[in-house]
Parts: sequence; structure tokens; C-alpha cells
Amino acid sequence: MGHGHHIEIKQETFLMPSKAKRFTMIMMILGVVLSGIGIATMDRTGTSHNTDNSHSPAKEVTTTESTHEHSVATAAESHDTVNTAGNAEGTHAEAAHAEGTHTEAAHDEGTHAEAAHAEGTHAEAAHAEGTHAEAAHAEGTHAEAAHAEGTHIEGAHDDAHAEHANVDNEDFGPRIEYHAIQKPWTTEIWSNLLVAGYFFTMISLCALFWYTIQYAANAGWSVTIKRVPEAMFTFIPVAFVVVLIALAFGKDDIYHWAHYEHLGLKPGDVGYDAILAGKSAFLNTKMLFIFPTVLIVLWYFFGTRLRALSLKEDNGAKGDVTYFKKSIRFSAAFLVTFGFLISVLAWLFMMSVDAHWYSTIFGVYNFATHWVSSIAFIAVFVIYLKSQGHLALVNKEHQHDLGKFMFAFTVFWAYIWLFQYLLIWYAHIPEEMMYYQIRYENYKSFFLGNFILNFAIPFLFLLMRKAKRSKWVFPVIGSIMIVGHYFDVWFMIMPGIFGPGASIGLFDIGVFLFFAGLFIYWTLNQLQKRGLVAMNHPFIEESVYHDTGI
Amino acid sequence: MIHDSLIRERLVTGDKTAADVTRDISRPILNQPSSAWKIGFTLSLIFLGIFGVSLFWTVWTGIGVWNINKSVMWGWDITNFVFWVGIGHAGTLISAVLLLFRQKWRMSINRSAEAMTIFAVVCAAMFPVFHMGRVWVGYWALPLPNSFGSLWVNFNSPLLWDVFAISTYFSVSLLFWYIGMIPDIATIRDKVKTKTAKFWYNFFSMGWTGSTRSWARYELVSLILAGISTPLVLSVHTIVSADFATSVIPGWHTTIFPPYFVAGAIFSGFGMVATLLVVARKVMNYENYITIGHLEAMTKIIMVTGTLVGIAYLTEFFIAWYSINEYEQYAFINRATGPYWWAYWSMMSCNLLAPQVFWFKWARTTPWFIFTMSIVVNVGMWFERFVIIVTSLHRDYLPSSWVMYSGSLTEVGLFLGTFGIFFTCFFLFAKFLPVINMSEVKTILRNRE
Repeated sequence: MGHGHHIEIKQETFLMPSKAKRFTMIMMILGVVLSGIGIATMDRTGTSHNTDNSHSPAKEVTTTESTHEHSVATAAESHDTVNTAGNAEGTHAEAAHAEGTHTEAAHDEGTHAEAAHAEGTHAEAAHAEGTHAEAAHAEGTHAEAAHAEGTHIEGAHDDAHAEHANVDNEDFGPRIEYHAIQKPWTTEIWSNLLVAGYFFTMISLCALFWYTIQYAANAGWSVTIKRVPEAMFTFIPVAFVVVLIALAFGKDDIYHWAHYEHLGLKPGDVGYDAILAGKSAFLNTKMLFIFPTVLIVLWYFFGTRLRALSLKEDNGAKGDVTYFKKSIRFSAAFLVTFGFLISVLAWLFMMSVDAHWYSTIFGVYNFATHWVSSIAFIAVFVIYLKSQGHLALVNKEHQHDLGKFMFAFTVFWAYIWLFQYLLIWYAHIPEEMMYYQIRYENYKSFFLGNFILNFAIPFLFLLMRKAKRSKWVFPVIGSIMIVGHYFDVWFMIMPGIFGPGASIGLFDIGVFLFFAGLFIYWTLNQLQKRGLVAMNHPFIEESVYHDTGI
Repeated sequence: MIHDSLIRERLVTGDKTAADVTRDISRPILNQPSSAWKIGFTLSLIFLGIFGVSLFWTVWTGIGVWNINKSVMWGWDITNFVFWVGIGHAGTLISAVLLLFRQKWRMSINRSAEAMTIFAVVCAAMFPVFHMGRVWVGYWALPLPNSFGSLWVNFNSPLLWDVFAISTYFSVSLLFWYIGMIPDIATIRDKVKTKTAKFWYNFFSMGWTGSTRSWARYELVSLILAGISTPLVLSVHTIVSADFATSVIPGWHTTIFPPYFVAGAIFSGFGMVATLLVVARKVMNYENYITIGHLEAMTKIIMVTGTLVGIAYLTEFFIAWYSINEYEQYAFINRATGPYWWAYWSMMSCNLLAPQVFWFKWARTTPWFIFTMSIVVNVGMWFERFVIIVTSLHRDYLPSSWVMYSGSLTEVGLFLGTFGIFFTCFFLFAKFLPVINMSEVKTILRNRE
């Protein structure tokens, strides 16, 4: 860089301006108000996301999946169910299930509640004959066998029958698009809290990941901005408690498998699901709570140790590298455990919402989305501090580097996003497709919007050198990315919980605003607690002059 | 002004001056070849001969001389193909990604790693090309009008994506390598004595004068090519992984394949770079340029990427169980405990477990040990591809078509023969071109005044 001049390295302290306090308070209050209105206006009768169903007084649809060993006879015999087909046209069939639950739906015009489908075959049995009851009560082993197998549920969809009947081939195992059990209206609350808690836990964790890789890689350039991720990481306990609360109250409604766990079904029982039963060694309540908690506690411990070491380094002697060397060790320990186990959080919290579905890249995909948002947050904080006259040692080069990071991992996210989709789309195996089926068929604008928000926009802007060095691009593009990736997480689970009817309401927006405000407030508050400059870090000079070794 | 931290190790040791650099690095080109070179080159030629014979036999008789069959329709050939393509990746990573990351330790090793990339891609290309059978109509793989005798290619096929991905990769790598070499070729041009040598070095230096303007353009082009090459590091092996992952074969169809293949490629590539450079630095007396610090950095990358690959193995295994899909589960249980268990456990121990020794400083800084480990890595990565390909195919959905497969003599010969191609090229490169980027290394000398 050819800096001939000398730059004095001195400590800086940050005091949160009242404007920032006001801003974050307004965000939080607005968040509370919006989510309050959201709750007040929620439909308390059932799956409130599913607006089309709002007239149905009571619905209960329980899914059964094909289990390869499902006994045909049991299935057929179990049809002692009541079918109320309120819809005289007969286009929307309600069919009861092998589980022996009741399906009652009062159909107004335009409310197409639930239709439990057998793949194709059921359609024949029920629709062709036009008598649902017959199909359901028929003795014997033929059409109902198919019915019991792979029961398929569509809610709130006019033409869902036809479409899905085409897509789903009879011959392939289980296909449950979503767990369409009757959900209490509070499900929306808990699922949103799960998204918020998980997102911010991961953002904070990725902040820790950020500065541990700097240590592990002997990176010099980033030392001047190190305090920002160090402050961000401290939000982990707050966010994780939100996750635990959401799970404690909402797990049975969020996770099909958690609900199923209560049923205590044995092989041969009606409604027995061999797939969920097979997964129960991993998908169970104990695992859901204990394993992530242990991980988070462990990682938080590494983070606090690292923070303590960096404080000691600040107060230590110049040229003393003992703390630095210790930090490298803690960073390496963190990185190894993080690398091996981070996916478990994604599998338990997110992937298991679609309990029958699986994708090996899912953990990487989750990491990609949080990692890039965490970098975006770091960038926005750095720009903010800079605009307040702090971080005197940070110059355009550092900002440019942050921009490159954002750009690179925007592309990385898109890469992972694309390939999960492409490989599943290409192979077109029904039990994998169901994840995208519902997301693409029922949420086309969300599906494409996700890609535009998180790839197209940041990619095009951050490609330019000028943009990476500009004052306003980071706040704008960074915010778009943060909102976009939050939405990405939202979109990972909501269709799995609510089926085709999930929508973004005031509550969803309010929750995001509240937690984003809290996170920003928390981070800025943490930044006040210590100097902004990592004084005796062995690479501080390299970072200041933005010039690395020879 | 130099601001680097005192704890940074010097990238070039021995208090070298710019003149020393030129002298040291052009020495093998200007002098007669050493006896070590002669022995190595002869050995390489022998292997090249094995390749020639095996290839002749394959083309003359037909693919039937390989042991592949209706169940295991891809065997050693595609294993070797993926093996060699993977090896190429370190070169691109070093020259492109490390350039963007401003990692200056790249400067002493990028030239040879890029050369390795190019030779490895040549070796890789042999296998799919000759697997076509009638290799003389190999150009049908290109989208040519039907009047050429071909049929319009299938753009939906990942095999066609491979054609594009690898040819792009080859041409960009070649261009990057060559352009990076121009200033050095000009240096050699000014030093060689014979008329023929002068003519060729002059020709390939493209009239390089070393003016400020040339340098400015040179750096700009390097940066742009680095920008283009970086996505190629990801794309090439991603496409190779798509050859498998787009299928519906358990063990092949898994969404983690793209990033996992890329990590594996970088891992195996660094394995091969370490193999070559540990020897080259000793034989060619380049220990002050390719220092223990360089080796240490490489071992760290080997450890990280090996662990990433290991995480992918464990993820696959876990998700196979989690799927409760008996075919998925069987594919993985069969890998670990079936007739090819030895291949699976070789892969696991070489790729995930073995690199963990690099947690120890001694292991990272002892050349002979690094050399041994680099061979382990190469073996492990060959087995990885063998496991993926053969164990997934040999027991498919239909038990009546379950078979065992092992390479025939011709297949083994072809594989060994590609080492002949690779090392012949590498020895020629070491004789006629500067294996270290002189002009770049001069910018990181302490003793610059």
C-alpha cells in the first residue's frame, strides 16, 4: 500500500449515542407493537396461516405415511371413520385415514379444506365412484391399501388434487408434504420465535467463527475490526434461550415427529410410521433439547475464553504473544467442534420440520446462510462505527476486504442453494422432491424472491469495486442480505409447518424487528465495554497499514 | 516500509538478493541436466511406455480389455479421471484463490502447482476420451452440426457439462500459467546462449521488455485471470460431482457432493503438490525458496480439507441412516462392511484420520514425514473415488446383477501410465522453464536494496 507515514495506534472507547439507543428502542417497540397486533388479529381457530381455511370450525387431518411394511389389512379395517363431504360437487374429497381420525370439514364455497389423498389410487376409489364413504369403509384389501399408503394431504388448494396426483407417482414411498395436523393458533408464535432465536444464535456463533478463523489462518488484516464480531458473539445465550422457549412450548406443533412421539405407536398399530419410528433415536425430545444445549454451552465457553484472552492482551505488554498463542489453541478447538457438529443444529431445528425429508447438504446450506448474514452484520457495524468517528484505524481497504467477503459468501450461498435444488430437481425422487414441490408450487414468489434477495441483488452490487468502498452500499445491501437470509430461514420451516398457506404477517415482521433491534442494541452495548482497538495483538500493525508479511 | 509482525516467518530465507534469485532459479535451465534429473526422466519415460502399450491395446482391441461390466460400467477409468482432475485443483487454488487472499507464500509454489494442474488435467482427459471406445469420433462430444456425423449433444447431461467445465478449466489454467511465466521466460531469453534456445525463449516471451506499462498490464491480467479462475476451482469438481449426484443411485445421489468433492480435490491437489515439492526443493536446492514455512502452510491446508472431507463422509453416513431408506442405508453399510470394506477403511484412515497428525508441529515441519503423508493422501483419495464408484455400482437394486469388479492389467497399466505422462511433462518443465516465479519472488525479498 505504500504508507510512508506513521499511524499512531491508540485505544478508542465507544459510547452508544442516544440516537442509536433511540433507534434500537424504536425497532424493538415497533416489533412488539406489530407482533402484538399480529397476535390480536390472529385467527384463534386453527392453522391461522391458512387463511383459506378460516371458515372451517374444526379440522383434524392426520397424516399417515406409507410404511413399506404397512399391513394392508389393518389399513383397510381401520376405516371406521366419518366423512363429511360438504362439498356437493364432489371435487374436494375428504377422506379419512388409516389412523382412524375424523375428518370433518364444513365446506363453504371456496374453502377447500383437507383432502387426504392416496396417490392416484385413492382418487380413483373415492372420486371416480363419487362416494367417499364407500371408499373409506370398503372392506377388503384393494383400493384402500393405496389409500393407507402414502396418504397425501392438500389443504387450501383448488387444483391441488390434480396437480399432485400427477406429480406423485404411486410407486414411490412416503410423501407427506406437511404435517397438517390441527395446529393451535399459537404455533405461529412459537415457530416465529424459533426462526428468530435460531437465526440470531447462528449469527452470533458465526461471529465467533469469524474471528476464530482469523486466528487459525494467522490473518493480519482483520485485527482492527476484531472487536465487532467479539461483541456480536455475546448474544448467543439470549438468542438460544429464545430457541429453547420456542421449543418448550411449540415443539409438538412445529415438529411432526414430536407430535408423533406422544402417540407411542407400535409396529402394526394403525398410523404407525416406520420412518419416524426409525428416526426416533435422533429425533426425540431429549436430543432436541440436550444436544444443542451442550454444544452451545461448549461454544459459548470457547468464546468467553477468547474474549477474556483478548482483554488480557489489551492490558498486557506489547510484544507478549502468550495470549495470542493461547487464542490460536482455543480457536482451533472451537473450529474443530464447530465443523463437526454445527450441522446437527440445522438437522434438529430446521430439517426435522419436514420429518421425512433429508438432504446431506442441509447443514452446509444453513451455515452458508448464517455465515454470510453474520459478515453482513459485521460490515454494517463497522460502517456505523466509522460514521460515528470511531475505528480511526480502519480504512477503505478493510472495508473493501469486508465487501469481498460478503461478495464471496453471497456466491457461496447461491452455490449451495442452487446445488441442493438442482440435484434434487434433477434426480426427481419423490421423497426428496416434496420439499421443493410445496415451496415451488405454492410459494413461487417467495422461492424466487429468496434467490433475488440473497443472490441477484447483492451479487450485482458487490461486484463493483466502487460499491465495496462506498459508505452507503453496505448499510443498504447488508440490510437486504440480513432480511433476505432471515427470510431464507423462515422459508426453510414455515411451509413444512403450515403447508401451502403460510404467509408473512405483522407478527412475523414484528418478531424480526424486535430481535434485530435487540441484537443491535446488545452488540453496541457490548462494544462500549472495552476498547475498540486490540492493542497488543501481534498483527495490529499489519492491519493498520494493511500490509502483510514478507 | 515493512509492517509485518515479528512473529511472521520469512518467506525467503538465506538472505537472498534479486541476483541470487535469478541465478538459483535459472540454473537448471542453463546447465546440463543433473544425474537425478536423468534418472527421474528415464523412469518417467518407462511409465509413459507402459501407457502407450496399454492404450494401444485398449484402442486396438476395444474397451472389452477392461474389466468393467454391465453393473460396474465405470471402474478404474472414471476413478482415475476424478483422481487426476482433483489433483489439478491445488494449482488453481494456489494461483487464483491465494492471490485474491494476498497470500504471499503462494509465490514460490504457484508456478509448479499450476504446471501440475495442466499435466493432471491432460492425464484426466485420457480416461473419458478413451472410454468412449471409438476415440476417433471423440469430437462428437462437442456440439457440432449433425452434418459432421454426430448427433446434437444432450445439454441436460452432466457428462457434457464435464466437457465444457474441463476444457474451460484447462484453457484458463494454461493461459494463467503461461502469462505468469512471460517475464521469467524473458529473463531466460536474455541468458541462454544457443541460437535455437534464444529463438524459442524469444518467441514465447512475446517481446517482453519489462517496461512499467507491461508490468501494469501484467498485474491487471493476473488479477482478472485470478477472478475467472476462482469460480473454476469450485465449478470443475462440482460438475464432476454432478456426474454422480444427478443420478438416482444410492451412494451417488446425495446433495453434499458438490462442496465435498471440491474440498476433496483441494485436499488431493495439495497432497500431490507436497509430494512434488518436498522432493524438488531438495533435489534442486530450493530450500531457501520453498521453506519449511511453505510446507507447514500446505500441511495445514491438507489437514483442514481432509477434515472437511471426513465431515462429509460422516454426514453422508449419518443421513443415510437418518433417511430410513433401506437402499441408502444399504449402500453405506455395504461400503463399510461389504466385500470392498478394505477400500472404504483405506479411504477413511488415509483421508480423515491420517491428516490429523498435522496437529503436531513436528509432523508439519519434517520434510520426509510430509512426503510420506502426501503419498498417504494420494492413495486415500484414489480409494475415495474407487469406493464411491465401484461400491455404489457393484450391488445395485437388482441382486441378480450383483458383481465384483477389479481392474484388469490394461486398466492398471493405463493408470500407472498416466504417471508417466505426468512426470515426463513435469521433468521437461523443470528442465526448460523456471519452476519458481522469479519476478514475483523478488518482490518479497528482505534484501531488496
